[in-house]
Amino acid sequence: MKMADEKPPSGRIEPGQLPLVKAPDAIWKSIVAALDATPELRRVDRFSFPVWQWAAASLVVIGGVSWFASRPAKATWEVARLEGLPSIGSQTLASDGAIKVGEWLQTDASSRARITIGNIGVVDVEPNSRVRLVAASATEHRLTLARGEISATVTAPPRLFLVDTPASTAVDLGCAYKIQTDESGDGLLRVTSGWVSLEWKGRESLVPAGANCRTRSRTGPGTPYFADAPEALQQALATFDFGGGGPDAMNTILAEARVRDTLTLWHLLSRVESAERIRVFDRMVELVPQPDSVSRDKALQLNPATLKSWREELAWKW
Amino acid sequence: MEGPSKDTVVSLSDREISPEIIDSCRRGDREAFRALYEAYKDKVYSIALYFFHGDTGAASDATQQTFLKLMTNIKSFRGDSEFSTWLHRMAVNTCMDGSRKNKSRERSEEPLELVRIGEPASHDEDLARRQVASRIQAALSSLPPKLRMPILLRYFEDLSYIEMAKALHCSAGTVASRLNTGHKLLAEKLAKLRGMGR
Repeated sequence: MKMADEKPPSGRIEPGQLPLVKAPDAIWKSIVAALDATPELRRVDRFSFPVWQWAAASLVVIGGVSWFASRPAKATWEVARLEGLPSIGSQTLASDGAIKVGEWLQTDASSRARITIGNIGVVDVEPNSRVRLVAASATEHRLTLARGEISATVTAPPRLFLVDTPASTAVDLGCAYKIQTDESGDGLLRVTSGWVSLEWKGRESLVPAGANCRTRSRTGPGTPYFADAPEALQQALATFDFGGGGPDAMNTILAEARVRDTLTLWHLLSRVESAERIRVFDRMVELVPQPDSVSRDKALQLNPATLKSWREELAWKW
Repeated sequence: MEGPSKDTVVSLSDREISPEIIDSCRRGDREAFRALYEAYKDKVYSIALYFFHGDTGAASDATQQTFLKLMTNIKSFRGDSEFSTWLHRMAVNTCMDGSRKNKSRERSEEPLELVRIGEPASHDEDLARRQVASRIQAALSSLPPKLRMPILLRYFEDLSYIEMAKALHCSAGTVASRLNTGHKLLAEKLAKLRGMGR
């Protein structure tokens, strides 16, 4: 029999040594409250029909499912009006509607709309925005944001949902984010959950939850930074990315960087010349000790596997 | 040392959710969602609780967020992967997001109060289990998140390396390496705690 003064195990723990803990009942109540506050998730009562109606409904459902399974995939997404009077093409959206591939959805200063992205998530189109549905296939869900702002919440395999702007393509890696842009391509990505890859002409910025990334016309995505990064770092980074750089900007970035700003420094490694790269590398390992799997030489040579391995380690600090 | 009875630990496989329940959830059936919640809530809550060092508020928030995400996104669950793997991925993301948003929750001032699920034990057995659990919990809390989460997934869910890799967004090799390092560190911490217990 186990005694009260028994010592803990010496190493590996096994099931049973650490008890499962009962979730408080209050959690379910809070979930129900949140669900009730969300129109699309309100209760569906499956016992509100008499039995004969269930039987009849079942036949209809079976027929419907058969038809649904055999029909070609539709190339339209549902659109719900949230505020004001958004338009699809030349038609004003008075209630709910749909957007077809090739069509434009437009909001004015007082209107908003929600697009249901197939069955993988939703996009809220904010005021003064112009969005086009480019692709709605099983392998590619793609929008163009010509101007304005959208909020996307997506749960799907990575790289299935993409948003093109004039100076970037936001590639969803399973996340929630907001992206805004003007017609020239100047804009900002803000990620609230998961990861987004911002890509343009071979340049790639990986942006995790809590981080932002600017975009600029003819330059593409800048270097990602955390929204809570020191203001001086953020300003210096804007100068580095879009203002011609210069030693002062780099000095400020390196001096102001905190542990989680290794996100920014990791991206800078491959965006600076070799002399600067050594300074960036040294600052990174000063902030977070270099893992055994990362060789200094290979990192400075921008070996892709080394950089990826280092990023995976650093990401736990981000 | 004889460990406590394993039959008191709820196994995910014992409570596997049927495809019919998942389909009902897709249609917004609240009763089905409740069934799904009941099947997984304690696992998700336990992982979050140990991840957040016994912070019950943070664990409750993470559990609520995980299930809300699940309900919101269940239409996108294709069924070509294990449901539990998909759920773990959401739970891991939620915990990591919560950790990033509020670094202060990384340490809890209060010791974890354990409410064990399972058959009632004798007073001595119960006390011994609580002592062992609190020591392991203390050792686990000292591990960095990247080493703590694989151990929790391995411990609570007995996931394979491949399943953990999917939940943690990394390779199976990285999972193996982190588990190995985590167990070594855990052994060191537990050795110290054993010494203190003498």
